[in-house]
Amino acid sequence: MKKHSYLSIVVVLLSFIGLSVLAQATAKNDLQLSVSYFNSNNKIQYLVAHTKCKIDGKFQLVPNVEISFYISNDSSATNLLGKATTNEKGEAVLMIPPAAKSEWVKSSKQNFEVVSKASALYDETKANTPVSKAKLKIETSDDKKITVTVLEQKDTAWTIVKGVELKVAIKRLDGDLNVNETQTFTTDSTGTISAEFKRDSLPGDLNGNLTLIAKVEDNDTYGNLTVEKVVPWGSKIQYSTGFDRRTLFARRGHSPIWLELLAYSIILAVWIILIHLLGQIKKIKKLGEGVIVEMKH
Amino acid sequence: MENSTIQKITDDLLPQKFGKQGKLWVAFLSILCVIGFIAYCRQVYKGLVVTSMRDYVSWGIYISNFVFFVAISLVGSLITAVLRLTNAEWSTPLTRIAEIIAVSAITFASIIIVVDMGRPDRFYNLFLHGRLQSPIIWDVIVITTYFFISLLLLYFPLLPDLQILLKYKEKTSKGLYKLYSFLGSFWKNTPEQEKISNRAINILSITIIPVAFSIHTVTSWLFATTYRPGWDSTNFGAYFISGAFLVGAGAVIVAMYVFRAHYNLEKYITDSHFDKMGKVLVLLALLYLYFNVNEFLVPAFKMKKSEEEHLMGLFTGEFAAVFWFAISTAMIIPILILVFKNGRKPFPAFIAGILVVIGSWFKRYLIVTPTLLHPFLPMHDVPANYKHYFPTWEEWAIAIGSLAGALLIITIFARIFPIIPIHETIIETEQHEKA
Repeated sequence: MKKHSYLSIVVVLLSFIGLSVLAQATAKNDLQLSVSYFNSNNKIQYLVAHTKCKIDGKFQLVPNVEISFYISNDSSATNLLGKATTNEKGEAVLMIPPAAKSEWVKSSKQNFEVVSKASALYDETKANTPVSKAKLKIETSDDKKITVTVLEQKDTAWTIVKGVELKVAIKRLDGDLNVNETQTFTTDSTGTISAEFKRDSLPGDLNGNLTLIAKVEDNDTYGNLTVEKVVPWGSKIQYSTGFDRRTLFARRGHSPIWLELLAYSIILAVWIILIHLLGQIKKIKKLGEGVIVEMKH
Repeated sequence: MENSTIQKITDDLLPQKFGKQGKLWVAFLSILCVIGFIAYCRQVYKGLVVTSMRDYVSWGIYISNFVFFVAISLVGSLITAVLRLTNAEWSTPLTRIAEIIAVSAITFASIIIVVDMGRPDRFYNLFLHGRLQSPIIWDVIVITTYFFISLLLLYFPLLPDLQILLKYKEKTSKGLYKLYSFLGSFWKNTPEQEKISNRAINILSITIIPVAFSIHTVTSWLFATTYRPGWDSTNFGAYFISGAFLVGAGAVIVAMYVFRAHYNLEKYITDSHFDKMGKVLVLLALLYLYFNVNEFLVPAFKMKKSEEEHLMGLFTGEFAAVFWFAISTAMIIPILILVFKNGRKPFPAFIAGILVVIGSWFKRYLIVTPTLLHPFLPMHDVPANYKHYFPTWEEWAIAIGSLAGALLIITIFARIFPIIPIHETIIETEQHEKA
């Protein structure tokens, strides 16, 4: 009887472990969703949703997740801005469409919500970000001083904001280069920062133009703001090409002069000798014409 | 000098009609050439896909054959020029043999390049779009130049013999008589003509040496200017030239034996000629062996990772059998045969010559192909057959056909013209009698 009791306990335990394993096998992963607001050069406003998931103790980016973007906290169909699917970086980008203008202008503060679509792997997940409308103003002077002002919309007026951290840089091909040694600036009581341009002789475009960029990054109140300005502070690029240079690796007709001189003089010298010898055959022929000689052999 | 002696020399050295053996030999060579031509037609029709050459081995036995032909052609400058300028009079009976080998070899070297291009119409692109900086263009230039020099060096000493041939109208066919007349009816043996001819031969003998060195140095640079294991060597110019002289001298010994036996020329190509050529061959084999030691021992001592696969493939791997066969037959065995006086008798010397020629062909194959199979940056995801190379029947047929073609030129030349210079032999016999 006692033996049967032990057996029953073992069967129950095994059944419990088996169910747990089954339950684990079918459990969905927790999708972490976030959304950021961007105001690019005070012209283009867009949202970027980020998805990631912890698998085997490591965060991994999650592609191919359909994300719905809403203006305001109410994720109803009327507030839907649009949908986008995350790429291999786990990012889904949505430009705020002109159709949302009436909702957009209603208030100087907005809230954006993103909702990921439920799937076999992930449950529906939501995230939101509140945003106060703001913009940057950039000005430059002839002595290469840069002034950036942060302005926040309050009702219908734009007011200066102090204590905002921002970067001032020059746009380059693979990233932004700070205008001087200072990494970040913070706006003063006038809502502005001043930076001195100390990157002399930096190659610009054909006219020596550089693009300055001021940016506020991941600000809890304003999101991501940028503003750009083109300034003629770079050095003009002189495009030089080695295509026409005379090198050993150049195209036909562009061999180095020394090689041409050497090669052609050798070829000429040898072939002049050969042509001379052909002339000698002609001479021998001429000498033999009309000569009647008794042969020795 | 007695007329009877002159008559005897002339009778002995006049070209003879093909006997049964000769006809069979010509038929055999012609069949090989026809098979090669059929294979080439297939290649032109279907493209280079009929060969085993793929992305790895893009130079197969065609280029091995090319290098072999260029190498063997160098003998023209060795026997005709170097020995003439050093007053080695014993070489007189061998000069024409050496020159016709040079002309036929260089002709087929040019032909085999066109074969390797796949589409023959691409040949003119070398001239239209060739770059002076490219060793390929240098090769085209020096091969053309060497061909003309060899042709002239064959032609000038032939002029007095053409006059002798014209004298024996009754012994020649109408067609040949016309050919002799066209080529040399103007030669009257006048002192002025002789003077011009001798001067021309001397000029050609001097000119051919740097051109001959250039032709094979440039051929070696086709490889050495390419950054690949086995080719990345500063030794290549000298290595190629020493090998070329070796195979050329070996070919001359083989030709000497065959002509001597077939045309009963024992009085003109004597045991002494075999003895001297045997010594030359030993010297050249030792020289080539020395360069081989340099070429393989130095990189093998360092055994850089990138070279290791190539070298081990030669020493103990896929190509080991061919490698040791080539080293033994082209150098070691001929040295062991010819270093002894008895080994320099005609028949052993002939065997040594045959071994040198065969070993040298395989040596050229080993220079070209294994390196291509072991690039510094191997390609990924290539079909397995790209990583091995064995020629298709079309490649063998074309390569053998080209070798047969070169032999056919030599055979037909020997039928039409005296293979040993008659005039020079008479003059030298006269001088010996006077002395």
